[in-house]
Amino acid sequence: MAVRDFALPDLGEGLTESELVSWRVAIGDAVELNQIIAEVETAKALVELPSPFAGTIAQLYAEPGSTVQVGSRIAAFEVADDAASTPPETPAEGATTEGSTAAIEREPVLVGYGPPVEGGARPTRKPRVFEGGSSAEPAPVAAPASAAAPAAAAQRVEASPRSNPRSTPPVRKLARDLGIELTSLVGTGADGLITRDDVERAAAQATDARAATPSEHARETRTPIRGVRKHTAAAMVSSAFTAPHVSEFLTIDVTPTMELIEKLKRSREFSGLRVNLLTVVAKALCIAVGRTPSVNSRWDDAAQEIVEYGYVNLGIAAATPRGLVVPNVKDADRMTLAQLAAALSELVETARAGKASPADLGGGTISITNIGVFGIDAGTPILNPGEAMILAMGAVRRMPWEFRDEIALRQVMTLSVSFDHRLVDGEQGSRFLADVGAILSDPGMLLTMV
Amino acid sequence: MLRTTASEEHLETELLGLDFVQLLTPDGTRVTNPRFDPLVADIGPDELKALYEEMIVVRRIDTEATALQRQGQLGLWPPLLGQEAAQIGSARALRRDDFVFTSYRENAVAYCRGASLTQLMPVWRGTALSGWNPYDIGMATPAVIIGAQTLHATGYALGCAMDGVDSVAVAYFGDGATSQGDVNEAMVFAASFDAPVIFFCQNNQWAISEPVGLQAQRPIAERAPGFGIPSMRVDGNDVLAVMAATRVALERARSGGGPTFIEAVTYRMGPHTTSDDPSRYVDPEVQAEWAGKDPIARVEALLGSLGAMTDDFRAAVQEKADAAAAELRAGCLGLPEPEPLTVFDNVYATPNSGVERQRSQYAAYLATFGVAE
Amino acid sequence: MSAAMTTETRATETPGSQTLTLSKAINSGLRRALEDDPKVVLLGEDIGTLGGVFRVTDGLQRDFGDRRVMDTPLAESGIIGTAVGLAMRGYRPVCEIQFDGFIYPGFNQIVAQVAKLHYRTQGAVKMPITIRVPFGGGIGAVEHHSESPEAYFAHTAGLRVVSCSNPQDAHTMIRQAIACDDPVLFFEPKRRYWTKGEVSTELGPDTLPMEKARVVRQGTDVTLVCYGPLVITAMDAALAAEAEGVSIEVIDLRSLSPIDFETVEASVRKTGRLVITHEAAQFGGIGAEIAASITERCFEYLQAAPARVTGFDVPYPAAKLEEHFLPNLDRLLDAVDRVMLKRNSLTGWGE
Repeated sequence: MAVRDFALPDLGEGLTESELVSWRVAIGDAVELNQIIAEVETAKALVELPSPFAGTIAQLYAEPGSTVQVGSRIAAFEVADDAASTPPETPAEGATTEGSTAAIEREPVLVGYGPPVEGGARPTRKPRVFEGGSSAEPAPVAAPASAAAPAAAAQRVEASPRSNPRSTPPVRKLARDLGIELTSLVGTGADGLITRDDVERAAAQATDARAATPSEHARETRTPIRGVRKHTAAAMVSSAFTAPHVSEFLTIDVTPTMELIEKLKRSREFSGLRVNLLTVVAKALCIAVGRTPSVNSRWDDAAQEIVEYGYVNLGIAAATPRGLVVPNVKDADRMTLAQLAAALSELVETARAGKASPADLGGGTISITNIGVFGIDAGTPILNPGEAMILAMGAVRRMPWEFRDEIALRQVMTLSVSFDHRLVDGEQGSRFLADVGAILSDPGMLLTMV
Repeated sequence: MLRTTASEEHLETELLGLDFVQLLTPDGTRVTNPRFDPLVADIGPDELKALYEEMIVVRRIDTEATALQRQGQLGLWPPLLGQEAAQIGSARALRRDDFVFTSYRENAVAYCRGASLTQLMPVWRGTALSGWNPYDIGMATPAVIIGAQTLHATGYALGCAMDGVDSVAVAYFGDGATSQGDVNEAMVFAASFDAPVIFFCQNNQWAISEPVGLQAQRPIAERAPGFGIPSMRVDGNDVLAVMAATRVALERARSGGGPTFIEAVTYRMGPHTTSDDPSRYVDPEVQAEWAGKDPIARVEALLGSLGAMTDDFRAAVQEKADAAAAELRAGCLGLPEPEPLTVFDNVYATPNSGVERQRSQYAAYLATFGVAE
Repeated sequence: MSAAMTTETRATETPGSQTLTLSKAINSGLRRALEDDPKVVLLGEDIGTLGGVFRVTDGLQRDFGDRRVMDTPLAESGIIGTAVGLAMRGYRPVCEIQFDGFIYPGFNQIVAQVAKLHYRTQGAVKMPITIRVPFGGGIGAVEHHSESPEAYFAHTAGLRVVSCSNPQDAHTMIRQAIACDDPVLFFEPKRRYWTKGEVSTELGPDTLPMEKARVVRQGTDVTLVCYGPLVITAMDAALAAEAEGVSIEVIDLRSLSPIDFETVEASVRKTGRLVITHEAAQFGGIGAEIAASITERCFEYLQAAPARVTGFDVPYPAAKLEEHFLPNLDRLLDAVDRVMLKRNSLTGWGE
């Protein structure tokens, strides 16, 4: 024998309670399945309740005339163990735990707004497993990697930090107000998110200026930091303090190259084209890149991957009325010397005219800077942000040099490189520089390299 | 072919006469009706006993389902008490390849079409929105939106005609439904396209608490001819008359005669649903009057007069009824609770990124409670 | 015309491209669908003998007969409900609702039946119904002929909603919609029926699926999301903006349910700025869904709040006023200025 409870059902699509009008049976009565055992009155109708079990009445829980909540038990039956019977009660939705404390009323907002709080205790939420609320092992998220997950991952990979760094709208506004460029920051938030702290820290550093006396102030000239200079400064800071720079130098006799250039200038193929040392250096660089690809790569911190480019977008540092810009020639490695000559002269002209487009200025993979035009021999150039290698061309001087076992006046120049030691190791950087030097000191050596 | 030698035109005129077709009176007397008798000439004592047994079983199922609702096992049940003859008489005239479009009260039709007792339960228990695959038994999911199914039946019938088969679509609906635009649009379409569809209206006198007099100022059967659809008005509590009339309509449809309207006059002896309280609007005297026209009692009386109501037969029928009730109860209680994530199943026949995303996110939410899918 | 010539004109079109109006492109798509699948049937008011009030079904009844291209009684609920029955019988009905404002009598059948039958029957019953609706304004019409009701249907689970903007998509997408086993609300921009474009009638594995959006113009500064009649307006705005040095990326959504958020997200991650435009009213419109979803998905990339350029929350006005209702180039660029944090009409408006 088993004892089964019968709870008052919802008799009419959303009723919450009924009044027990009368019992048709008494404790101890034998009842058949569907025999009428009670009469109840709902908001809609007077209803007879048929017995859900065949058995004996063991208990009657409600008094005639009382109001019973839907889901509360009204009678208990003694039934045979294997009787086809109602399954055990499932607890009502949102039921509170046993032993509720002081009755908590939901604040009535308007008359009739909402039923009274069930059981009189404060509503509580279901415990989550990450709060240790369930003894069971948390089930692995059953959902397959939906469009959401790979899209989210793609999200982190695709966004180039340079073009649109991740932050939040309120932080962006703060950065705008403080004059901070987000592209110059490295975010410390989740997955490199730029946080409010990051912006405020950058602002504090920027305003860490020496407090000057009034007379000193009068002798100072103040120019607002904005525009290209602002961008360039931010870029340099970012580059200099992110990538570990190593610089190397190579001084070479470029007389054969200079002679070659004269010959090319007179040739039919190059008539009308500006072919000069930069052209040949650019070509040599492209060849050298082919032999040491690591110098043509990028450190993708967000994705934790090194990106090796399969193409050379060669940047040429150019001084323009607006400041220093580094426009680049796309796919320089696929160009012939003549094409390179044309592309380079056009690029430099456009940049000097201040007409370089965003497309020209973005997407560079490696750069050249010509400090020789200023009469300088060598330097320690700063990498164009996001690049692994930069080559500085020094001035060509007539200098005493070893030539055919004798001292002769030769045309000599120094090449300086800086590279990102995370991406390029010493051997690679040296080999690259040596290759460029080898081509320039003996253009015929090119035949051994391609 | 059940058609007599009468010409099509003659048939139309007779039908349009809208005589109340009755072959079996409430007290069980079999009256002769030369026009319709031939259509049920095949219903002898054995067939009559089978119809009787089926009506008893269906009534028992209906009662058991009502009890299950009162016991909290079904959320709702719309009783068909009193309408057994209207539903069984018509449904038993159909072929397997016919297709039926009903409202929510036609559980006896579903039973006749071949739905299992368990399949009658899910919709009312709330475990699913339909209990069977429509194509398995030639019956659409019963419509909850009043009258919508009449258009579906019309379209289906049109499709049958276009396929060149003589299957027929039957739309079951009530008196209240005839006020709905869709029912009237369906008749317009059916008439315009000569669709092989039967409009079977069970006028059970009530639309919840609204009497039929609020829906119709003339007998409902008189509407259809206005659309160009021949009409019959039959005693809905007379299983023989209902069957005969349905067979007339089927023959018309199968032979390219187009749609027919049948008004089966009956009475809803129970409430609209288990949520209803008819004592608020039903006149007990009218109710008692209709109790005297019970569809099962008259068949029992006829069988009695034929000497067929033996104790053995009664006991066998009772046993069948009890067994059906037990099977219904077990089927109801045995329905599995649906898995939570099935909420997202079958919204579309093709993959859908929006639904899949929500499914994944909800699964992640459930996982925070340690709930395995 | 001789019988032989009539047969010739009925022949399938020559492959390759041709210049067609958007209306003719749909006609061509319907013709191909009728040819390819004997279960495809067309229903609608005036679509047969007349060829449709916009001539979109011109010539089809003549060539396919009145049982495949059916003139129906004047009853939208009747059209849709009958289509439901035909679909249950295994047909692939293509319903025409003559004008957007007339869809409401059929709303019940669409939302309560067409949308839900697959779900209701746990997949046993399919509803491969296409409902074609000329929609949108800008044609100087009287009431109920310039509506944009797409949001009601995009909000209804079980329906797919698409809108073409150009002749090629009109042709491709009507064929895809008809072939789709799910019900599709196919919104045709009526003021663009007469725009011409190259149309290839070949569908292949490279054809853009119906649920995908298309970036119709690349840009870097602002993402401008549009569909239907406003794609041309958006492209014009992008050209105007280019002269001011602003680079707008224009996305033709094409599918309104489901929405191809992947494409929009990728663009917003790049530009950080979003403008959405539609003729339909602002409140609860497609723009609201996109603004909310993209804010959820791309919050950390947004430079400014998404902006919506839409019809106002008023009934569609009289013809003389519709220019003050419909989004146009200037309103779009005002919103572009807003997301670019430049001076715009709402500068100083406050929170």
